[in-house]
Amino acid sequence: MKGFVAVLKRELLALFVTPIAWFLIACFALLEGFFFFSVLVSFAAGQDVLVGMGPAEVFFGQSIFFHLPIMLICPVLTMRTFAEERRSGTIEALLTAPVTPTAVVLGKYGATLAVYVAMWLPTVLYMVLLARFGEVDWRVIGTAYAGVFLLGAAYLSVGTLASSLTSSQLAAAVGSTIFFLVLLLAGFAGQLAGEGMLADVSSYTSVSALMSDFSRGLIDTRRLVYWGSFIIVPLFATVRTVESWRWG
Amino acid sequence: MTPAPRVSHSAMIEVRDLVKDYGAFRAVRNVSFTVAKGEVVGFLGPNGAGKSTTLRIVAGFLGATSGVVRVNGHDVVDEPLAARGSIGYMPEAAPLYPEMRVSEYLAFRAELKGVKSGERKAATRRAMDDAGLAEMERVLIGQLSKGYRQRVGIADALVASPPLLLLDEPTAGLDPNQIREVRSLIKRLRERHTVLVSTHILSEVESMCTRGVLIARGQLIAEGTLDELRALRRPRSVKLRVRASYDDAAKIALAVDGVDEASLESETGDGTTRLVVAFTDELRGEATTEALVHAFSKAAVGVLEVAPTSSLEHVFAQLTSETEVAA
Repeated sequence: MKGFVAVLKRELLALFVTPIAWFLIACFALLEGFFFFSVLVSFAAGQDVLVGMGPAEVFFGQSIFFHLPIMLICPVLTMRTFAEERRSGTIEALLTAPVTPTAVVLGKYGATLAVYVAMWLPTVLYMVLLARFGEVDWRVIGTAYAGVFLLGAAYLSVGTLASSLTSSQLAAAVGSTIFFLVLLLAGFAGQLAGEGMLADVSSYTSVSALMSDFSRGLIDTRRLVYWGSFIIVPLFATVRTVESWRWG
Repeated sequence: MTPAPRVSHSAMIEVRDLVKDYGAFRAVRNVSFTVAKGEVVGFLGPNGAGKSTTLRIVAGFLGATSGVVRVNGHDVVDEPLAARGSIGYMPEAAPLYPEMRVSEYLAFRAELKGVKSGERKAATRRAMDDAGLAEMERVLIGQLSKGYRQRVGIADALVASPPLLLLDEPTAGLDPNQIREVRSLIKRLRERHTVLVSTHILSEVESMCTRGVLIARGQLIAEGTLDELRALRRPRSVKLRVRASYDDAAKIALAVDGVDEASLESETGDGTTRLVVAFTDELRGEATTEALVHAFSKAAVGVLEVAPTSSLEHVFAQLTSETEVAA
């Protein structure tokens, strides 16, 4: 893993020295803050539309306010990783250093994951607020954040792969966003299907199913395996793609 | 055509039967050469000859279709990290990260190349001093001029003090002053490093290198010391300054066996004439030149200057156009 730390540090610098990471974190904080506020207001007004769910569950649950921001922000975080290096030619200097492709891929991926985690950190304060004025099960909050982490890690992994497949940042971002959208919509479609194979497949694989479980404190090992491979397989494919450039 | 490689234990670079195909296009065809430790070798060829491709393979950026490349005794395929660890490579046009400061970038590159954290600061400082970047330490790379960016590329190659420097067209796109600076920098570097520097400008090799490797259309066409390369030249004509009128001088010259024509360059007004004498057979150029001087002195015409018209540039042009005909 020679070079992992060096690449990770440089990528973080590149994300934070340009406005992109700050901008994304600010947008996300604003959006989630607003969302959390509206959840609280509706609970305070006693509009218990979602029976048996607390505010935290709604916040981490199946809402579009949860899924859409992540779906849009993750591709922007990852689109630069390889596409920009290939467009500008800096990839040549990077890959001729005595480092392995795995270290380069994981360093770049790790930096985007760190920004993603930083993006979510302020929301812990919301939970602290909830705990002051009501009852909060921290174990459920914990699993909800585990779901948030898994989902983001998978999105960023797919986004990194997309960035390695094209030298256009835009194509990388659009491509991965469309992929996530299809993933999300397929999940909803599966729910509409009611019963049968499609519904079964959807209930195991869909993005919304993951969060509806994790936000209620349910950890299903099948989901861990599925989302774990959703993280590992694209990263592995990215390493292979980087190696394949040698033969271009 | 390709000479057998000189196998040596002190070889810094050993390239044997290197072939690189891009799809159906063969960019490098059976190239073999060696660079010994301590040499400064010019890697010469016209644009598109396969220089960059060869350097990229040696640097480990591209894989070869076939053939063997060893750097500092390490095979670039079997021991890629050890081979790459011996190289300071500056890719063509020195691509850099515009959002980083010069010192940040070099510190990053030093870390990437495994320079220990305690030594990184000193290594970065030394590389900046060597490349003449001392005042640019805190400047964003995106704001640097092309000349300074090139220097950052060279500083990057130097930062981990590798035994071998691979510089791909380090003077391309620079103004004449910058070119001079880069050349003198490379001359200073040869005390501590083995250098392979690619260029399409011959005078560059003449001013910096101890040896040259010429390739054209992916093929090695000549390899040797500068004198050996110069010996390959086959003059097509010779420039003379003689103490005679043009008519008299032309008459004497045309009587010599092997002379094709004698054209006037200028009459100097002090009784001497400059003329260019072309040969019928360039392979017998030297013998014809000798006979020509002999004929003038026999006619009691003073010869003030004899200058073969072919420089290394001509060798280059001749050899590369010959391969084109052969290919």
